[in-house]
Order: sequence, then structure tokens, then C-alpha cells
Amino acid sequence: MIGLVKAELQKLFTTRLWWIMLLVMLVLVGVNLGLFIGFAGVSQNGAPALPERDTVEWARMAWSAGADGNVFAMILGVVMMTAEYRYQTITGTFLTTPRRGRVIVAKLVGGLLVGLLFGLGALVFEAVVVIPTVLISGGEFSPAAWHIPQTGLGIIATFALYALFGIGLGTLVRNQVAGIVGAVVWSYVIERILVAIPALQPVGRWLPGGAAQSLLSIDVDTGLGRPELLPAWGGALVLAGYAVIFALVASATTVRRDIT
Amino acid sequence: MSAIEIHNLAKTFGALKAVDGVSFTVEAGSVTGYLGPNGAGKTTTLRCLLGLVTPDSGEALVGGRRYTTLPQPVTEVGAVLEATSFHPGRTARNHLRILCTAAGLPVQRADEALEQVGLAEAADKRVLGFSLGMRQRLALASALLGRPKVYILDEPANGLDPAGIEWLRGFLRHLAHDQGAAVLVSSHVLPEVEQTVDNVVIIAKGRLVRQGTLAELTTNGEPAVRVRAAKAAELAPALEAAGARVEPAEDGLLRVHGLDSGAVGQVALDQRVALSELTPERSDLQKIFLELTEGR
Repeated sequence: MIGLVKAELQKLFTTRLWWIMLLVMLVLVGVNLGLFIGFAGVSQNGAPALPERDTVEWARMAWSAGADGNVFAMILGVVMMTAEYRYQTITGTFLTTPRRGRVIVAKLVGGLLVGLLFGLGALVFEAVVVIPTVLISGGEFSPAAWHIPQTGLGIIATFALYALFGIGLGTLVRNQVAGIVGAVVWSYVIERILVAIPALQPVGRWLPGGAAQSLLSIDVDTGLGRPELLPAWGGALVLAGYAVIFALVASATTVRRDIT
Repeated sequence: MSAIEIHNLAKTFGALKAVDGVSFTVEAGSVTGYLGPNGAGKTTTLRCLLGLVTPDSGEALVGGRRYTTLPQPVTEVGAVLEATSFHPGRTARNHLRILCTAAGLPVQRADEALEQVGLAEAADKRVLGFSLGMRQRLALASALLGRPKVYILDEPANGLDPAGIEWLRGFLRHLAHDQGAAVLVSSHVLPEVEQTVDNVVIIAKGRLVRQGTLAELTTNGEPAVRVRAAKAAELAPALEAAGARVEPAEDGLLRVHGLDSGAVGQVALDQRVALSELTPERSDLQKIFLELTEGR
């Protein structure tokens, strides 16, 4: 089994996509952080301003900026599965390991590890940007006050689980483009709307995105009112539930299908 | 026990009976050609054998077991399916190393296999730039990784240049005759395999139409003798008088049925007709193949 997981990681790291995804993710997180830095303390048209850069509130908010990168973990998950169908390498994979359930488990474990690495990457990048910014602005670095342990764990966990969702989605659609578009539309459009608009939050908080946010305990008024999310443990349970569902979907759709 | 056994295999895709009650066996130490026109059901049979397609009924066994129950399949069976199954952005060596890792084989098998198929110099090139022939060699290399005793190859000669085909023939003969492997190789182009195979299984429209050794198949047809003479017009009636059936071909050439070449020579001598050619015609597989598969 360890060999199979290793093979899945090799498949990803012997092609170029992973570092392109990592780069794009860091750019996106960088843009988010840039906006937080630029608009800190600026009040526009009477709307409540973002906190000042030297405050604990600003640091907490900036620290959660990496959460947006989870879609890239999901895309990598989609690609880990759909690339096999796109290039028909699935044939060689199943010839080597005809017990397909084992391949699926190896992919899911591989996906979790890749998501974890990407989450770590986002956190390291945040640390490099946020800590100096606060210190330069005259604030103090305080991991506990900034909720770094919880936010960090939350980001890593959501990245890992989103990679797993991607693998599940990939087994369902098998078409790479459809899978990637699906992942982006889902996490950037559908979930955003359902999680951000208070009236829709009773639905949104049960979605992976909403559950992920409750893990991060982002308590920021975006102008639409404070989000009503599940408690952190509830969010974790919901995410784990989705992971199980996606894993079951992945194996159920793959184990008996004819590879022609 | 035969290396490969197929019993009453049947598989339907929608309304199409892709394979319809096919049975045959492949023995160790021999090359068996699995022949038939495109769409005859060859690929489906091989994919059933390799556990990629689940048959509706019947059995396809390797070493007496279903492929999906083999504990270490790549060490027992080497398979070459379509030549496109590579990630274009991955190098040849990495492609093979991943298979080694997944199969629990030492990674140096990757380099050894590349050496064996003559791709050592392209090991670190991405598959993107490979010709079809190089891809076929890489596919063959992946089949060699586990040093199996059974080889299953689907149209392996596709895309190879004449030198590549010659190399492949030698390689398959070497695997079967020197290393004692059982080789099952499919093709829709007969001349590609005619000089390589020991046994032939012919399939058309999902049904088996003939199987046997190459020798059995090629001697079954009615023998004929090719005779060329300037005075063919004088020779033909004499041959017919001697009991032959004569088929005039192009000018000066006759195809004679019912007499062997010695008897034809005697008739020519008696008639004082000079011959410029006298050849016993081997009934060739290509013709049998066409006859067997046409109109079915």
C-alpha cells in the first residue's frame, strides 16, 4: 500500500502541473494579503474599515487569507484522477494493480498528503508576509492571540479534504476540463454565494466551504453581517462526512467499470 | 495447464456482440497470432483476459487464474495495449519507475527494460516528443519490467517502421522460443505476424473462425502450381488432358490445380514446351485470412 501511495505521489510530481498550481495559489493568496495590507484602516463611504495593521484583529484576518487557496488542492485532486482517463494511463495503473479499490485508496491518501503540503505552503507564505507586516507596523507577534494554531490546522485540514473532494469529483466526471471547471464554479461561485449571503447561510454552513470556514473561525463582518456558521467541531464533522461520501463515490464508480 | 485459457468468452456492449463464445488456449514457448479484421473483437478479448473488461459469461484465465486474482500480476503477465497510454509530460524513465514503485519492483528495472527495447538514450526525454514507434517500444518496456512468462500484445506492430517490425518479430520469437514464454499477439495485418507466429487463431465479428498451427492452416487449401511458358496456349489443353484444372492468369502464366509440379514438368516435356517457371504455390495465409473473414 505504501508503494501505491508513493506511486501516486510520483505521478503528480513527475509532471509540471503541481508547481504551476502552487505558484498560482501563492499569487492568489498574495493578492488577498496585498488587499488586506493596502486597505487596512481605510474607511470607504462610511462602510466599516478593516482593522489597522498593528492590531490582533487584522493579523487574525490576514492569517486566514490562505484559505482561498483550497480550490487549487481540489483541482490537483481532480487532475490526479482525470489525467489517468485523459491519457489512458488508467490502463497501465489497473494492469499493475488490478484490485482497483487499492488504487482508489492510494489516490485518496496521496491526495490528502498533497493537500496537506499545499496547506503548509500557504501557511509558510502567510507567515513570511504577515509577521513582518505587523512588526513593521508596530504590532506584536503573538501566535496564540492570532489564533495561529486553530487557523493553521483549519487551513491544512481543509486543503487536504478539498484534494480528496477533487479526487471524488474526478472519478465522477472523468473529463478533466469538466472536472476543473466544476471545482472552480463550485468553490468560487456556488459556495461563495451560499456562505456569504446571510439568508442562504442555513444551507451554506452545511456545505464544505461553510464547514471549512467554521474551522477557521473567521469572525469578520464583511458588511453583510457576521456569518452564522457551525461550531468548529461541527464543521470538522461535516467535512469528514463529505470526505467519506466522496471516497465511497470514488470507489463505487471505478471498481467495476469496463476500461475500453 | 495452458498459459492462457479462454473458455466460451462473451461480451456485449449495448447491442454489439463484441465477443461471442470464443475459446482457445496459448501454450508456453509458442507465439500465437490472434488475427481478425478491425472490430472483430480482438481487443475486447484481450481486455477481458487482463481484467480491464468484465465478460458477460465465460472465462479468461492466465496460468489458471483470473488476472484480477493474481497477487503480483506484472511478474506473471506483460501486456502491451494501445500505444497512447502515456502522460505526454512525463519522461520514459519516470513512467517506468512509477510502474516499478506501484508493483514493488526495484527501480533499476526501469533502466534495464529501456535498454532491452533500445530506448536507453531517450530515457530522460518527455514522451511528448516520441514517435509512435518509440511509444510502442516504451509500452513493450513496461511489459518487460516484471520479467513475466506470459505476454499479451494488442497490435504491437502498429506505427513501427519496417526495421522496427523486424526487430519486434525477433524479440517475440526470442521471448517464446529462447525464454519459454507464452506470447499472444493480435494483429489485423497478416504479413506483420505471418513470419513470427507458431499458431493462429482467427476471429471475425466476435466469433472464432479457425485455429491451428501455421503449418495446418497454410497446407489446408487446395495446392496449385504456377507454370510460365511462352507457349502456354499449347500446354494448357495437354495439362487438362492429364486431369488438371487450369486457370489461365496473365500472359504466359497458368495456375494448375490437381497435378503436382513433377507431373506438370512431365507433361511439358512430353509436349516439348519450354518452361520459364515452375513453382508449387504455397497456399498463403493472407488468402485464407481474407476468405475466412470476408462476408461474415
